[in-house]
Amino acid sequence: MPDPVLTLLKYLFLAVLYLFFMRVLRAVWVELREPKPAPLAPAPGPVPSSSNQPDARSAHPSPGERGPERLVVVAPADHKGSEFALSDEVTVGRAGGCGVLLADDTFVSQLHARVFRRDGDIYVEDLGSTNGTYLNKKKVTAPVVVHKGDKIQFGRTTLEVRK
Amino acid sequence: MTRAPARRRTELGLIFLVVILTGGLYALAGFGKAGDLPADMGPFLGIIFALLLVGHVAMRRLAPNADPILLPTAGLLNGIGYVFIARLSTHEARLQAVWTAVGMAAFVATLALVRRARDLERYRYTFAFLGIGLLLLPLVPGVGENINGARLWVHLGSLNFQPGEIAKLALAVFFSSALVERADLLSKATRRVGRFLVLDPRYLAPILAAWGLSLVIFLAENDLGSSFLFFALFIGLLWVSTGRTYYLGLGAGLFAIGSYLALNVIGHAQSRVQAWLNPWAHPSTSGYQIIQGEFAIAAGGLFGEGPGQSNASHIPEASTDLIFAVIADELGLMGAAAMLFAYLLMVGTGLRIAVRCERQFEKLLATGLSLILGVQTFVIVGGVTRLIPLTGVTLPFVSYGGSSLVANYILLAVLLRISHDTETPRPTDQIPELYGTGAASL
Repeated sequence: MPDPVLTLLKYLFLAVLYLFFMRVLRAVWVELREPKPAPLAPAPGPVPSSSNQPDARSAHPSPGERGPERLVVVAPADHKGSEFALSDEVTVGRAGGCGVLLADDTFVSQLHARVFRRDGDIYVEDLGSTNGTYLNKKKVTAPVVVHKGDKIQFGRTTLEVRK
Repeated sequence: MTRAPARRRTELGLIFLVVILTGGLYALAGFGKAGDLPADMGPFLGIIFALLLVGHVAMRRLAPNADPILLPTAGLLNGIGYVFIARLSTHEARLQAVWTAVGMAAFVATLALVRRARDLERYRYTFAFLGIGLLLLPLVPGVGENINGARLWVHLGSLNFQPGEIAKLALAVFFSSALVERADLLSKATRRVGRFLVLDPRYLAPILAAWGLSLVIFLAENDLGSSFLFFALFIGLLWVSTGRTYYLGLGAGLFAIGSYLALNVIGHAQSRVQAWLNPWAHPSTSGYQIIQGEFAIAAGGLFGEGPGQSNASHIPEASTDLIFAVIADELGLMGAAAMLFAYLLMVGTGLRIAVRCERQFEKLLATGLSLILGVQTFVIVGGVTRLIPLTGVTLPFVSYGGSSLVANYILLAVLLRISHDTETPRPTDQIPELYGTGAASL
């Protein structure tokens, strides 16, 4: 095969090689544009801690108050949108003194769980409830860190962590 | 879930392109070298297509939601590497073909065996002992073998193997799981020394022990490239798991001390550095390889001399350490840049998989595996282009060498497994619906 043809074919090879990368980049681009399938845990790092939060007890439900983090009811439908502010520590349950008072949900124990802050992270801990506490559909057996967008289920009530 | 078929379709399309590219390059190299089509053109095309198809079918069955670009990109690198090995030595090419098949088998086996990446976390000490055992193996008399001043090889009968390649992966698993367990302890200073709060060294001890031991082994085996890779992996994972930048400073300091010691203790290291700083001091002995590599890269120019048309085969270790110089010679800057582009894409994809992970262990493991790929490429390409001293590590997927190829295919399979885990929506039926499904009032 004459040299010029070989040289031409070499250019053709390099062109197709870069075409391959164009296709790859396009595939990456298509994926980046798509919404993520599952809620992502934010990168590990200190969450800015906040100290002067409004008293959580007065926050049931009080749409006016916007703390840095809130617990928002997403299910059941008739309580959807109710909000609870997160202070340094709130208890969850059906008993009167609970910061997150879920008095109507009979599947919630009197003192069901607590949500607290430590070193800038927010944790949820089950306090020996009858029906359990679930973080993103996984049973909470020890204090676990919750992030923005996580869903916590107490009894039949599901709350989402929002900022 | 609707993304799975789309991803696999993308993958298949890219695989077709890879087959066309590799086949075309093989034909071009044949014309360039012998003036005729290679005699085994048909079987060659059939075999690479079959191998990639096996990988693709395994992906469809075992990890349908995983990333679509990693397998074709690795296949492309593997294919281009094979063409250049075949162009340099028919004997090595035959072995490399067998190893490619073994590598693909290892890829499928890994995907089939590791059904969830998180399961690896439980076997952390198994992996630690496996890794260190594999590292020690070449030092065992009768089994180990010295090749080119480095004691890295194990021979069983006529089969030579470099267990260090697999050890890297095992230790990456161990580091990731051990660091996940201790990340909190390692990111907060608790011990007071003078005016400063420093980390409590107790928590670091098991990791430091593993790291120190493997570093000593690497140095005893004279494998400088791998010890650097290992060190970078360790520091990188510490940094990522704790989010503390001072680990990078600590790493730089330790690296400086280590290189100072290595330079004064290991003659091998000293000659490597001299050949790097001034190869022209001994142009026909210690500097010969680097000088020939540089000539080859320079001769390539922008578009290269054409596949099979250069006289690159006289470069020492052309098919392993200096294969990047051969590629730069025959495909020029454009071809060499394309290779680097492929590595960048693979490392970038690996890190993207890590970012999307929800669990720390998978996140760290994906980061570690991407680091292995990236640092190894940097060490060898940097060495060939004289950015850093040349040490003999392989160019992933491209260089001639069975152990490296198999290890890299396993690495790829683990990355894809993590990607599949992350992209698969978690089953929502883990909790029994408490009482019916109705929207009863609270």
